[in-house]
Amino acid sequence: MLASAGIIGTIGRALLLVGFVGSVFGAFAAITGVRNNEPRVIRLVSRFAVLAFAAALGAFAVMEYAMITRDFSLAYVQKVGSWSTPALYNFAAVWSALEGSILMWVLILSGYTLAVCFWMRKRMNESLAAWAMAVMMIVLAFFFLVSFFPANPFANGAPGVLDGPGPNPLLQNHILVMFHPPILYLGYVGVTVPFAFAIAALVTGRVGEGWLLATRRWSLFAWGFLTFGIALGSWWSYEVLGWSGVWAWDPVENASLLPWITGTAYIHSVLVQERRGMLRVWNISLLVATFSLTILGTFLTRSGVLNSVHAFSESGIGAWFLSFFAVVLVVSVFLIGWRGDKLRSPGVIDSPLSREAAFLANNVLFAVFAFVVLLGTVFPLIIEALQNRQIAVGAPFFDRLTVPIGIALLTLMSIAPVLPWRKASAETLQTRLFWPAWCGIAALVASLASGAYGLAPLLTFTLGGVSSGAALRQVVLATRRQGFRGLVGRANGGMIVHLGVILIAVALGASNSYSKSQELSLVAGVPATFAGHSFELTDVIEVRDDRSVSVKALVIVDGGKTYEPAITKYTRIGMNVGTPSVKTSLTSDIYLTLEPPVRQDSNTARIKIFIKPMISWLWIGTGLMAIGTFLAAFPGRRRRPTDATSAPVLVANKSA
Amino acid sequence: MKTKKLIWIAMLLLTGVLLAIGVTRSGSPLTQQDRIDSLTSHLACPTCSGESVFVSRAPAAQAIRTEVARQVGAGLRSDDEIISYIEQRFGGQVLLVPRATGLDSLVWSLPVAALIIAISLLVGAFARWSRNKPGAPSAQDEKLVEQALAQVSDDQSKG
Repeated sequence: MLASAGIIGTIGRALLLVGFVGSVFGAFAAITGVRNNEPRVIRLVSRFAVLAFAAALGAFAVMEYAMITRDFSLAYVQKVGSWSTPALYNFAAVWSALEGSILMWVLILSGYTLAVCFWMRKRMNESLAAWAMAVMMIVLAFFFLVSFFPANPFANGAPGVLDGPGPNPLLQNHILVMFHPPILYLGYVGVTVPFAFAIAALVTGRVGEGWLLATRRWSLFAWGFLTFGIALGSWWSYEVLGWSGVWAWDPVENASLLPWITGTAYIHSVLVQERRGMLRVWNISLLVATFSLTILGTFLTRSGVLNSVHAFSESGIGAWFLSFFAVVLVVSVFLIGWRGDKLRSPGVIDSPLSREAAFLANNVLFAVFAFVVLLGTVFPLIIEALQNRQIAVGAPFFDRLTVPIGIALLTLMSIAPVLPWRKASAETLQTRLFWPAWCGIAALVASLASGAYGLAPLLTFTLGGVSSGAALRQVVLATRRQGFRGLVGRANGGMIVHLGVILIAVALGASNSYSKSQELSLVAGVPATFAGHSFELTDVIEVRDDRSVSVKALVIVDGGKTYEPAITKYTRIGMNVGTPSVKTSLTSDIYLTLEPPVRQDSNTARIKIFIKPMISWLWIGTGLMAIGTFLAAFPGRRRRPTDATSAPVLVANKSA
Repeated sequence: MKTKKLIWIAMLLLTGVLLAIGVTRSGSPLTQQDRIDSLTSHLACPTCSGESVFVSRAPAAQAIRTEVARQVGAGLRSDDEIISYIEQRFGGQVLLVPRATGLDSLVWSLPVAALIIAISLLVGAFARWSRNKPGAPSAQDEKLVEQALAQVSDDQSKG
């Protein structure tokens, strides 16, 4: 590969520069075109969008080419490339470190920009669409610039390097690394589309509901990918990291959760605006918060600031993201203030016992939720900056504060779906909540019968019963009325998403409260028991390939299949990675890890066993959320204004 | 209607009784392993950011896990004593939960304050909305309507 030394990096950087220039010109064309009302200039916008996308795709392809051919002239390939990485993980190695993930961000954002451009091609002369394109192009230009300067993936590396360490071992031992990052990014980056339209609405003064309805599906799409990406991340954590949990509340996870929280608040409160024209400022603020939290999250996790406030200046990227975050906030707040009079809405919410009031309560809870997560994540920074000492804020803090919020949200999910708009009477509630309440009691009885105890999990199960009753009620009533159409559309799809959320809440409640664990020192041929299960070690074997040496303990669980928890030493990096082995069932998982120190020649192994109830329901719930999101994206049945709202009158006899 | 109300009261009572049963009973007694797991989930891994010793697979966390297991196995120290022992032995900030004293207590009190502020804003909004119910048009509104009506009748008389 010496022939291409230096050339491939130059091509990549040139493409990034072309992309930057293309998006700047695209933004310029959109703004000047719409201000001077020149359709010819506006038509250029889509060409620039194509150019920027082609440049991003080209740069990404060049990077993949360099990685696949192991072109060690590039510093990035030296960092994460290796001849010994298997082809699939080598392909994914492109996004296994900072520079490559920014490149993927650029690619996905340019894809979104082109998609929005194509979708709006007939309406590009409208000022709203043109301004939205301009905002997307400006954000895209920023990311091209970040990729060109501080996070340059095409920098030349030290000469004479012929092989590298490969990606972080954790990123080359599970297939999910192919899917989790791109899907999460599709959500993370997708937030830019509704944000761009919100800013365009503020700039053009068309702050009515038009832009909301236009971007409804984009918001849902981004939210769905974000949800799915986060869930895949928990699955990866469970299958790979070996501590038996799905969520550790570490800053990287929190950075992906924050925009999800504000985004979830948005897709609820937006319904109030569509229906009643209220909460305009609030909805725009939620979108601004969601977008700027993606930027802030990237700043927090990628600048090294969380390791120490003082590490911040070491990486150039921190200053870029912090400045961009500040610009986004200042511009948005200024625009909201400037359009304040147009944003005021005349409506009022009549009663605290109404659908719209429930959405408001939902928003209060989600806002507090987001505040808790953000505060916990940045609190060590605040303390270090003020008092110059290190503290840690971890899972016990987040658990203690978020469990009550989760229970409050479940309570709301029990009542809100049966509330009518405008105003409900106590009698309506009594009638509509009757069967859901029995579902709750049934859930409580069932969980007591299976041995559950403790206030928080029992409340979770009971409220899970009530809220699934409330969600099912809506779906059943809708399908009875409209057949299969009762499953699609926002309200019905939303209820299926609710059912998924409830399954996840119940599974989390059970697995967090009733997990059992034990470390067993197993001797080959001697069975041991724990929690009613038997474990027998048959052998300890060693498996070598050219990147690693693994020691596997072969353990027969309950006299059936053999499970193989392992510890793998990645020889080039000198890092030990444990790989758990899990026996899954609908009621509980048996999760085995091999504990160090391991000796291949001995006939003994220390195995840690976790019995985790209901983990599979997390993944089933996630699947249900994905299906529900998909169904919600289809247009539901809309009542035409000319349709009768009362039952049709039967015409007795036509011939008469 | 009466019977329905009675059924509701019965349901609420039933839920309360069942919850009380569930809350008062407890699971199997805590094992040594449970103690180790709970202690290590409250200790910060010294080489990670924000991860507990229980979660982290880093060598430093491994070392602390082994030490905690040894201490629990010896059975001589209470949980708090083990934590302060680990703090002495490994140094630095080992606790993953912020204290409730000094500046650190803000991390506990600010969320509560945020909740109170948010709820009072919501209550304030509802109070404002119930005061400004549409249906009681202001004098200005009435004047506007009068003008508009006058305009209409003008137009009609002309047309």
